[in-house]
Amino acid sequence: MSRRRVVVTGLGIISPVGNTLEGAWENVLAGRSGIGPVEGFDASAFSVRFGGEVRDFEVSDYLSRKEARKMDPFIHYGIAASVDAVRDSGLEINESNAERVGVSVGSGIGGISAIEKGHEAYLGGGPRKISPFFIPSAIINMISGNLSVLLGLKGPNVATVTACTTGTHNIGQAARIIAYGDADVMIAGGAEFATTPTGLGGFAAAKALSTRNDDPQAASRPWDRGRDGFVLGDGAGVLVLEDYEHAVARGARIYAEVAGFGMSGDAHHMTQPPADGEGARRCMTNALRDAGMNPDEIDYVNAHGTSTPLGDRAEAIAMRGTFGEHTPKVAVTSTKSMTGHLLGAAGGVEAVFSVLTLRDGVIPPTINLDDPEEDLGIDIVSGGARERDVRGVLSNSFGFGGTNGTVIFRRID
Amino acid sequence: MDSPIVITGMGIVSPLGCGVKPVWSRLTAGRSGIGAIDRFDPGDLPVGIAGLVPDAGDDAEAGFDPDRVADRKERRKLDVFTLYALTAADEALSQAGWSPQSEADRQATATVIATGIGGFGTITQAQQTLDSRGYRRISPFTVPAFLANLAAGNLSIRHGFKGPIGCPVTACAAGIQAIGDGMRLIRSGEAEVALVGGAEACVDPLSLAGFNALKALSTNNEAPGKASRPFDRDRDGFVMGEGAGLMVIETLAHAEARGATPLAVISGYGTSADAHHITSGPDDGAGAAAAVQAALRTAGLTPADIGHINAHATSTPVGDRAEIATLRRVFGERLPAIPVSATKSATGHLLGAAGGVEGIFSTLAVTEGMLPPTLNMDNADESMADLDFVANSARPQATQHALCNGFGFGGVNAALIVSRV
Repeated sequence: MSRRRVVVTGLGIISPVGNTLEGAWENVLAGRSGIGPVEGFDASAFSVRFGGEVRDFEVSDYLSRKEARKMDPFIHYGIAASVDAVRDSGLEINESNAERVGVSVGSGIGGISAIEKGHEAYLGGGPRKISPFFIPSAIINMISGNLSVLLGLKGPNVATVTACTTGTHNIGQAARIIAYGDADVMIAGGAEFATTPTGLGGFAAAKALSTRNDDPQAASRPWDRGRDGFVLGDGAGVLVLEDYEHAVARGARIYAEVAGFGMSGDAHHMTQPPADGEGARRCMTNALRDAGMNPDEIDYVNAHGTSTPLGDRAEAIAMRGTFGEHTPKVAVTSTKSMTGHLLGAAGGVEAVFSVLTLRDGVIPPTINLDDPEEDLGIDIVSGGARERDVRGVLSNSFGFGGTNGTVIFRRID
Repeated sequence: MDSPIVITGMGIVSPLGCGVKPVWSRLTAGRSGIGAIDRFDPGDLPVGIAGLVPDAGDDAEAGFDPDRVADRKERRKLDVFTLYALTAADEALSQAGWSPQSEADRQATATVIATGIGGFGTITQAQQTLDSRGYRRISPFTVPAFLANLAAGNLSIRHGFKGPIGCPVTACAAGIQAIGDGMRLIRSGEAEVALVGGAEACVDPLSLAGFNALKALSTNNEAPGKASRPFDRDRDGFVMGEGAGLMVIETLAHAEARGATPLAVISGYGTSADAHHITSGPDDGAGAAAAVQAALRTAGLTPADIGHINAHATSTPVGDRAEIATLRRVFGERLPAIPVSATKSATGHLLGAAGGVEGIFSTLAVTEGMLPPTLNMDNADESMADLDFVANSARPQATQHALCNGFGFGGVNAALIVSRV
């Protein structure tokens, strides 16, 4: 069966570094951190008191106040990034194409804030205090569901949930849905709002988070010797993916081609990768094979790079295993150094940055790399953005449960 | 021509018990798995019934014994939905004879386990701990136990499956979408074997209160066995259930090459969206019809080929009516001649696990030549009086192709077609 080419025609982002495409991009190129003290709730009693929250977000730009009240913030972020991405793509959805346009926007955690509030209401006043909107405000497929209702999208409606690989898996699987002809356009990505008492408390209890409370902006420091865990972040990153012929026929602006997608499982440990990054290497190799590309056609990797001691090192080893002697020529960044770790939204936001890197030929820096770990053998871009002609970009995501995803974007000339 | 995708193993944990054999025998004997909730005090909740998985202590033949799947220490790290998935997987993998030892076989095995909610009980407990004892007492296993993809993750770790891991979370359509995702992974060459299905364990005061607030649940506390009554005039909502239904799928060529017995063919799969309303489908059933039609198209079949339907049929007034509108759209005048079973009448609604469990029931219908009954079918809804619901007792009948539906909140629809080998 011949597969159709899939391209990116729209981008949308809500994030700690900004809620507009160009604003967020300008901030990451300038190396500005979006991390700060937690303001969404009183975190003074927590061992971790900072995160990457979304600021200055007006949900009323996208939904009426009444509608918005029925949804957890992770749904607000997902809808906002998706609506922006569709606007950016110039696609008009009407009777004639609605059945060929689908949605695949997931979340790693979903409505944890809604569950907290529902539980408090239940404890305080019993079952009668539970809102009829509680269940639909909390369940994960309600970004895809609400978008379908809001925009009239009648194609495949899915939401894959694979922890911190969620965004990347949704993008890759959406590309497959188009490649195999089940839809012509897919809105794909991830959204998250986990900076809540149980979200922050839970990851802190798992000892996954940095505790650098005295200097939050320096806390996310992938590959730096002083790294001590990741920083929780909120937001959403969404792409409009489209069949190449469909995009050309409507005269759409094409950012890039989704050249390849790969997945793998570590089969190792619930929360940690194997030290040699073996599963991540197979994942990248699978994506290259899917793309029909050689390692030397990749100029840039937007790494998973969460700033955990074990994970960052394993990913570097996996990259060396994947790229071999070409490794020194591949520029690497972790934009999580500025955004924090957006969990299920990370793959979406990082896909947006990867595509913009291809568009502009400029690679964002990894900030806080003051004292890089020795012998990593990879070229980490630090100390400012780097201009470079970029042909192919590879973006990695790895998640709890040992689940890996890699997507490759290629310039269309 | 691609080699057909076949099922070579099945495993089930359900309100009717654990194990495909006893569950099928109870289902076809007309037994209900619904009862009064005895696991916690429902207090002043208007809903006091559910389809809970029986304990081994109460049901020696087919009750759930957590010790058989994980010791007490390991269980602290796992939510109940993951325990159910591990149990169903043991059965499915054992029947399929799939326990890959070589690196190549392990890398060629995908794990796609759906859930609608994930570790709900883990979160409500953590919230309680946070409120009463502070963040220091939160278990480090809270996050990994809660995450929806950790049924798949733990299965992959336990069995060494290194292929793609997936977890569709699309409410009550998730289980069928997991099977569809697994088919695609095999078709695209990313996996040769996939363990697919769904798991759910979220019967909890908060989730019951949440669905009750939506007026989605039956409140027939007096007669639990009568509460789930799809397509019956007196239905008043669904009954929450829990469990897991998992399958091992692979191409027929792969199964034959390794000497595995193909149980049935998964011939078609389709999915679509209503784009209508977050919790109810359109009256005309058009969105769901698109999913059924897509499944027929991928199977290369016409409506005339379908001999049995396992309906989504949750027993809500609106949902059941919309599904019949869907079926009438697709099957037209022929619908009264096609037997339609609603097995949720016996199991309750297993949400993200429903598609896995009902996919298994559809498979057994074609392999055993026996249609499971729709319980509590005393007076069919007036608008459906012309249809054949396999009322109240199972019926021996040979079937070549069976359709299985799953629809979910958010307006998501999925349909599967299972065919005799």
